[in-house]
Amino acid sequence: MQNTAKTALVIGAGPAGIEAALKIGQAGYSVILIEKEKQIGGMVGKLCSSFPRWENPQEMLDLKTRELGKFLSNITLLTNTTLKFCEPVEKGYLVILEDSDKELNVKVDAVVLATGFDLFDASVYGEYGYGIYPGVMDALEFENQLKDWSAHKSQTEAPGAIAFFKCVGSRDRSKGNPYCSKICCMYTAKQAGLVKELFPETKCYVFYMDYRSAGKGYEEFVRSVIEEKHVHYIRGRASKVLPQNNRLLVRAEDTLMGIPIEVEVDKVVLATGVIPRKETARLVEAFGINTDQYGFIESEFGSPAKAGKRVFFAGGCNFAIELPGAQYQGAAAAAEVINLFYQDEQEER
Amino acid sequence: MNRVRVVEPDQRIPEVPEAIFLFRSCTGSMEYPGTENAIKEILKLLGIEVVMDPDQTCCSGYLLTCSGYLPEFSLGVTARNMSIIEKSGLPPYVFCNGCYGYLSELTHIMEHNPAYKDMANGLIGSLGYHYKGGNNIFHVQELYYRLKDEIAGKVVRPLNGLRVGCHYGCHYLANQYGILDDGGYPAFHEELIEALGGTPVFYKERQMCCGYSVGRGFTHKEELVQPHLYKKFKSAREAGVELITTVCPGCNVALDREQPALAKKGYEFDIPVIDMGQLIALALGVPVEKLGFGANTVSVDKVLKKLGVGKGD
Amino acid sequence: MALDSCTNYSLQEEIQRNCDVNLDTCYECGKCSGGCSNGHIFDFTPRKIIQLIKLGQENTLLHMDALWICVACNICWDRCPSSINIPRIMDYLREKAHQQGITATRPQVETFHRLMLDSIYKRGRVAEVPMMIQYNLAIGNLFNESGMAARMLLKGKLRPVLTSVKQIQTVRQMFNNPKKKEG
Repeated sequence: MQNTAKTALVIGAGPAGIEAALKIGQAGYSVILIEKEKQIGGMVGKLCSSFPRWENPQEMLDLKTRELGKFLSNITLLTNTTLKFCEPVEKGYLVILEDSDKELNVKVDAVVLATGFDLFDASVYGEYGYGIYPGVMDALEFENQLKDWSAHKSQTEAPGAIAFFKCVGSRDRSKGNPYCSKICCMYTAKQAGLVKELFPETKCYVFYMDYRSAGKGYEEFVRSVIEEKHVHYIRGRASKVLPQNNRLLVRAEDTLMGIPIEVEVDKVVLATGVIPRKETARLVEAFGINTDQYGFIESEFGSPAKAGKRVFFAGGCNFAIELPGAQYQGAAAAAEVINLFYQDEQEER
Repeated sequence: MNRVRVVEPDQRIPEVPEAIFLFRSCTGSMEYPGTENAIKEILKLLGIEVVMDPDQTCCSGYLLTCSGYLPEFSLGVTARNMSIIEKSGLPPYVFCNGCYGYLSELTHIMEHNPAYKDMANGLIGSLGYHYKGGNNIFHVQELYYRLKDEIAGKVVRPLNGLRVGCHYGCHYLANQYGILDDGGYPAFHEELIEALGGTPVFYKERQMCCGYSVGRGFTHKEELVQPHLYKKFKSAREAGVELITTVCPGCNVALDREQPALAKKGYEFDIPVIDMGQLIALALGVPVEKLGFGANTVSVDKVLKKLGVGKGD
Repeated sequence: MALDSCTNYSLQEEIQRNCDVNLDTCYECGKCSGGCSNGHIFDFTPRKIIQLIKLGQENTLLHMDALWICVACNICWDRCPSSINIPRIMDYLREKAHQQGITATRPQVETFHRLMLDSIYKRGRVAEVPMMIQYNLAIGNLFNESGMAARMLLKGKLRPVLTSVKQIQTVRQMFNNPKKKEG
């Protein structure tokens, strides 16, 4: 019989946090899973579809919610809750959790940070007109638009053309973000593919520097979007968006031909890169763990899920990651926690 | 690479200067002397003293550097002008984007390459000039924006909703060293127009280069500049622009003086083009004859009439 | 084109040294070319120019038409995600072309700059009227811009009287003193 007094605190109920909580709970230990929003699911709940198998994210989330429901006895889910305070004590942390009307003081024996990532603010690219022209939106906003179109397809007039710009806020030294945000090539292909699925007549243009599809089924996914759904991929980072004829004019260079081109579209979707959340910065300071120069959590040498003393992490707070990856990391963090608790118990005998 | 590009006006100019060194622009003072006068009048009304020095030369500008013929010459000329500015002890303000970009870039080069600075000082040393260092060049458009509220408070001839299209030019916004607004979508000129009671118009090709730089305006008028400007004017006309403002006499020459050539080809635009300073001076009640609109090729009379300003006001 | 025999990257190193840029940071994204003011008539767009430098194609670069229709608007530099100073590279290529005696593909440009510098040498300033007359003679079109000249004359904006600056010797000294840049 496991000692159920050992408790892990998992901060963030996105896919990584849910997976971590589930695995720790299934092993018989106690888990407090806190989430600052009123619904769980993190980014997954906001998605219209997923790559590479076009699976329904809401169904995946429902599955996980049902599984959590089977472990109500030892997994406590607190939504609308954040960490107010923490203090290291022997073999754990004393934390104060708060929601809108009450506080909870509890001692936890391990912490898993799963606070996820945020999207880069594209308004620094004045040349794209984000925040100025209503037809220009970022990837999450477009995902929402796709959900809306999917639900109301018959009442929606098909847009004439949509342009997708990749590497907005990624691979850009001049904006301080030289890194590649990993998931944008895939989610852009997904979004463009979805548009063609909904409105086959709509022209879709993806302006890319490269497309990165390193994963199981990923390359085939992108090629199917190009070859079967006929999304036009144009190699060249878009240079400017201008208003024209109540639509938007995109100017870029087709670098494969080496000629400047322009095309008129109705919407421009910016595949904005991934940045750490502000909440992560606060927690990192509270728990005294290391981050890289961008604010993403750094793992300790030799321990890919460990960030500090009895602190582990999983998912987007470490770097850009897609859904299966977040789940793997959640399970890895859970394994570390389970091992830690097992060691504690051995010592206490 | 992460240098802050866009700064707030009160970071750029923390304290409003009591006196400035106004760096004369060759094109500005020759082609549109009203521009220089307008600046002096505005600053008089704002209580800022204007100091000039006839010893300065033309900055020599992109015209010279980009000819590639005597790059060392440009450094010498710049160092000499900077030493005159340093002697005055006042912050230098230019009223031409070309002077701005050019002086900023060359002083930056000399700051970061002591060998070049020494060479430039070597050239001018025997004449009694010495450039110490420092590369903080300002443009009067920055001062106008910094003092936007004061200017708004002193408007006596509001623009009555005049539809103004702003032309920013290239060499201020493309500067990498701390500017007032994003080169991707600048809006501070439009804010100034609103403060004066005008209607700013964001026409499609508002940020298109005038095409005149580096002497292309002389050598490639028909082939390059005119088709280029046609696109710009067409988009201004379609957006209903009544007046175009500039902050660079080079751009002013391009936009103003090419219109008759376009008209001869059948493209009549008739959109007057004036310096932002001249427009502000008009709104602040400066008498029209001090603003030198006679130098404009495309007549400004229509606009003056709309503002209720007679020739003798 | 056999890559390893067409370049040993010395041209790239030369440009990097003299223009204070690192061309290996180029993402080859084309944002520069997409924003270029005259890119649609350049024979080689800015991105291609960077690539030509990497391939050591000095001859092509120095004979490019783009050198003489670039307006130095700086938009390429402004938009580049690696902030590569392309205008500086263009200036450097123009200097190099001139030093090697390569005439501009557009001879009016060369004539114009030469006349301007001559005027500065003679009088310490650019005297527009004589310069424009000489330019018109050189390009073989005496009536070039005569309409504008007439309008300017009528408005009293042309000064036929020529003056030199007082310290003309000091100006001429600058012409005699150039320290040639390291190649």
